[in-house]
Amino acid sequence: MPEPVLCARGIEVRFGGLVAVDGVDLDACAGEFVGVIGPNGAGKTTFFHTLSGVIVPTAGKLMVGGDDLTGCAPHAFARHGVARTFQMPRVFRDMSAEANVRFGLEFAGRARRHAHEAFDDARAILAFLGLEDSAALPAGGLTPARQRLLEIGMALGARPRVLLLDEVAAGLTHAEVDATAQLIRRVRDELGLAVIWIEHAVRVLMNHVDRVAVLHQGRKIADGDPRAVARDAAVVEAYLGEEGEPVKRAA
Amino acid sequence: MGFWLELAASGLITGGIYAVVALGLNLQYGLMRIMNISHGEFLMLGAYLTWLAHTVFGINPVAFLPVVAIVLFLTGLAVYRLCFRRITRTSPSVEIIEARSLLVGFGLMYLVQNAAYMTWGADLRGYSFLADAVEIGGARFAGNSLLAFGFAVAASLALLAVLRWTMLGKAIRAMMQSPTGAQLVGIDTAFLHPAVFGAGLALAGVAGALLSMVYEITPGMGEPYTVTALIVITLGGLGSAAGCLAGGMLLGLVEAFGMHFTSPSLKMLLSYAVFIAVLLARPKGLFAR
Repeated sequence: MPEPVLCARGIEVRFGGLVAVDGVDLDACAGEFVGVIGPNGAGKTTFFHTLSGVIVPTAGKLMVGGDDLTGCAPHAFARHGVARTFQMPRVFRDMSAEANVRFGLEFAGRARRHAHEAFDDARAILAFLGLEDSAALPAGGLTPARQRLLEIGMALGARPRVLLLDEVAAGLTHAEVDATAQLIRRVRDELGLAVIWIEHAVRVLMNHVDRVAVLHQGRKIADGDPRAVARDAAVVEAYLGEEGEPVKRAA
Repeated sequence: MGFWLELAASGLITGGIYAVVALGLNLQYGLMRIMNISHGEFLMLGAYLTWLAHTVFGINPVAFLPVVAIVLFLTGLAVYRLCFRRITRTSPSVEIIEARSLLVGFGLMYLVQNAAYMTWGADLRGYSFLADAVEIGGARFAGNSLLAFGFAVAASLALLAVLRWTMLGKAIRAMMQSPTGAQLVGIDTAFLHPAVFGAGLALAGVAGALLSMVYEITPGMGEPYTVTALIVITLGGLGSAAGCLAGGMLLGLVEAFGMHFTSPSLKMLLSYAVFIAVLLARPKGLFAR
């Protein structure tokens, strides 16, 4: 078992009396594609916020590449190679798509090099994502689907070691989701990234990841091979108990 | 002809100073939502520093401009650390940052202003520098006003260029648009916040130094400029540097022509009329798309 790039131990987030995330462990190794699923309100996004430093966990420990980043600000996570996207794209709207990607290259990713030289250039990253014709356009003028791709480009610009994707499939058609997933697999393969992908829509995710963790009511109830997890009694119960989403068909 | 040119020029000259003061406040308010109501007091400090350097040590006010900028920048770092850092860290939302910083700003305003009254007294102070008239195209201008205008425009354009074309400037604009998003691409807000706040005060100091070359100074001189800066920011749009420059010039012209056709005592009334008109017609600023 190789050393994990990202290692979260006993992560807990409390908002007053409410425990949103309750003692979750998660590891991701270089080159691994990990999915995190869970019904609405399972604490997925809150957990994700702790992995990128947006929320400081009330308890637990976060290690990135062997360094302890517990309690650090988001830019510290970014500089250690944790890059993420948001459910609602947070591009810098009045700046060109190219300038958006350059932020990562100039700030978060300044001290590192990519395994693949092609990704050290904003235009090349945009071309990889099929956004080369939008390079000079203001990011706010792109379609939502393209803004989401651009956000992945901004994350890649940061020369990440861990790529966190927050519901990239939301609002996309099936064909677009598959194309995006293929794109992410290629990036993972070429750059040896650890990718953690959170999704509410389980089916799309199950087809693409190597491993899947399931959150339910703030706790991790399963973690393993997607097919095995889909048959797990606790997971089926969690989903059926909510809205009966057909997890079994996912595999 | 010469008369109208003089009138327009005097409006633009005042407008240039307004633009610099407003740019400084816009950096603080537009970027971090710190409503620094004591902004004008730092303009006054810049004016007094220049006056002291000139009358006590005989230093040329123009050569002293960079010193004023650096001293006020460092003051800004200290003020941010002492007064505003805690507010930005502990406030749950930007609205609360605004409200709390407004109160702190008021306290700071009285503190700085009255410290200046204690130190230098309430007398008008001044010195004569390049006061000879220069004739351009049939109109006569005081040399020092032209100089002040030139430096004000140069400072505004330099800031505009930095914000628009350098990565540092883009990082500052990125922080205005999405603070969390900026942090996630690796922008260190713990470093940029105090630096930008300091730059804001440095601009106020430079404006004060330029004013001291033209007008007499008192410890109470800063307050009206804070109000004017708020009007200019509203005119030009929150966080917009180009809007500040244009808004400052516009307000200067409106005041100059308005005072000519009515009475100089109506100056503030004219400013407020512009302010209210803009709030009614274009609440997001004249140049908002």
